[in-house]
Amino acid sequence: MTRRLGIHLIAWAIGLIWLIPFVGIVMSSLRPQRELIHGWWNLSPFTLSLDNFIEAWNHPSAPLGQGIRNSLIVVIPATIVPLFIGAMAAYGFLRFRVPFSNTLFLIIVLLMSIPQQMVAVPLFRFMRDVGLLDTYTGLVLVHSAWALPWVILFLRNYLSTLPPEIEEAASLDGANRFQIFTRIVLPLSVPGLASAMALQLTWAWNDFFMALILLFDPDKLVATQRIPLLRGQYQVDWGVLTAASLLTMSVPILVFALLQRYYIRGLVGWTLK
Amino acid sequence: MASVTFENVTKRFGDVVAVNDLSLHVEDGEFLVFVGPSGCGKTTTLRLLAGLEELTSGNIYIGDRLVNDIPPKDRDIAMVFQSYALYPHMSVYDNMAFGLRLRKVPKDEIDRRVREAARMLGIEQLLDRKPKQLSGGQRQRVAVGRAIVRNPKVFLFDEPLSNLDAKLRVQTRAELSKLHKRLGTTFIYVTHDQVEAMTMATRIVVMRDGVLQQVDTPQNLYERPGNIFVAGFIGSPSMNFFDATLVEADGKLYVDSSSFRLEIPPRLAEQYRKYKGREVIFGIRPEDIHAKPYVPPEISPAELRATVDVVELMGSEIFLYCLTADNKSFIARVDPRIRARSGDTVELVINMDHMHLFDPQTEKRLE
Repeated sequence: MTRRLGIHLIAWAIGLIWLIPFVGIVMSSLRPQRELIHGWWNLSPFTLSLDNFIEAWNHPSAPLGQGIRNSLIVVIPATIVPLFIGAMAAYGFLRFRVPFSNTLFLIIVLLMSIPQQMVAVPLFRFMRDVGLLDTYTGLVLVHSAWALPWVILFLRNYLSTLPPEIEEAASLDGANRFQIFTRIVLPLSVPGLASAMALQLTWAWNDFFMALILLFDPDKLVATQRIPLLRGQYQVDWGVLTAASLLTMSVPILVFALLQRYYIRGLVGWTLK
Repeated sequence: MASVTFENVTKRFGDVVAVNDLSLHVEDGEFLVFVGPSGCGKTTTLRLLAGLEELTSGNIYIGDRLVNDIPPKDRDIAMVFQSYALYPHMSVYDNMAFGLRLRKVPKDEIDRRVREAARMLGIEQLLDRKPKQLSGGQRQRVAVGRAIVRNPKVFLFDEPLSNLDAKLRVQTRAELSKLHKRLGTTFIYVTHDQVEAMTMATRIVVMRDGVLQQVDTPQNLYERPGNIFVAGFIGSPSMNFFDATLVEADGKLYVDSSSFRLEIPPRLAEQYRKYKGREVIFGIRPEDIHAKPYVPPEISPAELRATVDVVELMGSEIFLYCLTADNKSFIARVDPRIRARSGDTVELVINMDHMHLFDPQTEKRLE
């Protein structure tokens, strides 16, 4: 009993330590700058206002509202494209017997180990040469390409938990491969697709590095690129910065909240029960 | 409706020969059951016919049409899987309608056929449910229903009863037989359970290690098994086998083993006299061994004394696990009124009219 109590205390302590910075961010974002000079933990005076959020959203040099809109323009296709292509590739790797398919799969998996920094310069040159520098299309393509290896690995593992007899039954029922994929496999893969979607959307949304290399027109900057620009000229404007962070992180948090019903099932795999 | 022909069909998985040079003709409207122990190639044979596996060599015909290179969807056959393989995201209705929709059957025609099949199988009240809301028996019916609505040329069943409990299995067995009579379509059925095979089949195919052992009606298979494997596989408990020699004395022919000598009835003696002096394997089914006070009339009796090892009371009968004088074990299925106990010596009577002889080398039946 004391042992369990001890474990609970430690768990709560770790949880609180993790939570403190986040509490700080929330507190800073909701209070005017003058109350934060001596630290957010100083509770008097205590004024609540949404001014920081409004200011970050409409900031004169880097409006976050526009940044979030730009992020959505990039992230939505950068999630749908790799998911659709990845699902087809994963299904192909799993069900079609093609020579060297295992070798090919291994190569794809190995691609996951390449660090982004390594390809930054060649990627920049390549995008410049094909005329996709400073375009959303270029960033969408890079995100999609970057996501494909793990999406394929993830969905292949998920699809391998689907019983093959269901597909065989469909083929005897008169379905061709594409009909089996769209009418049987995809509907049964919703949990797996939802998990992959949540992960990819978060990853693409949180990306700073790729966007930094490929987008530089001030009007095109995505949300993550704008946060550092909100720092203020003569002093760090903590209120606006933290409000911008909260606004930016709200999207992935919302996605996880909406998809979490599928998320666990997607990681566990498929079952009839 | 169609016949099915296998012509020198072979299937290899790497070095493993799953089906070895199988040739077989299935008549239109037959209820053919493939039976054999697991790994004997019966399911592979069914999957080859369905087009779910590719042939290594040989030909398969459905009716007159060579189907070797025809994909499963165009073979016009329906299959009931062991796991039922229902589409989990569709209702029972949609499960049954799926194949018809793909074939662009008009909507009202689909509705009519689905409801008719559902009525036939007694699952009308389940049409809106999802598979996971059904019991095992109900899922099995939906799987059968999905096959029926398509009105295919051939029905394939891959151990469809093995996931049901014993009582339901017996009931479903009878229903499948009825369904076959009603539809009149060719049924090809795979099972490892020889009771299912015996009760439903018009003909049984016994397979072992990918090789066809014997094809015949259940009655013939039981009465005249072609080799030791078939003799041991069909019938429960299994047939007893003894090493023996055929000897002649005073004009009579005997099966002579080290611990007993049994007279062969005159009718059979004529037929077997040519094997006189040869070593044979003598086979006798447990149900052809009777306890002495309860011997049925009009048999050719031969007496045998044995020691009881284990007694299994089944209610309507008793299985006696016995030992001969030289410690050969065998089973007798006798009248329950005999109050034998472990360690007792019992007088048994063998019905020699139902004896079987096999060649010890080839394991084939001696005629």
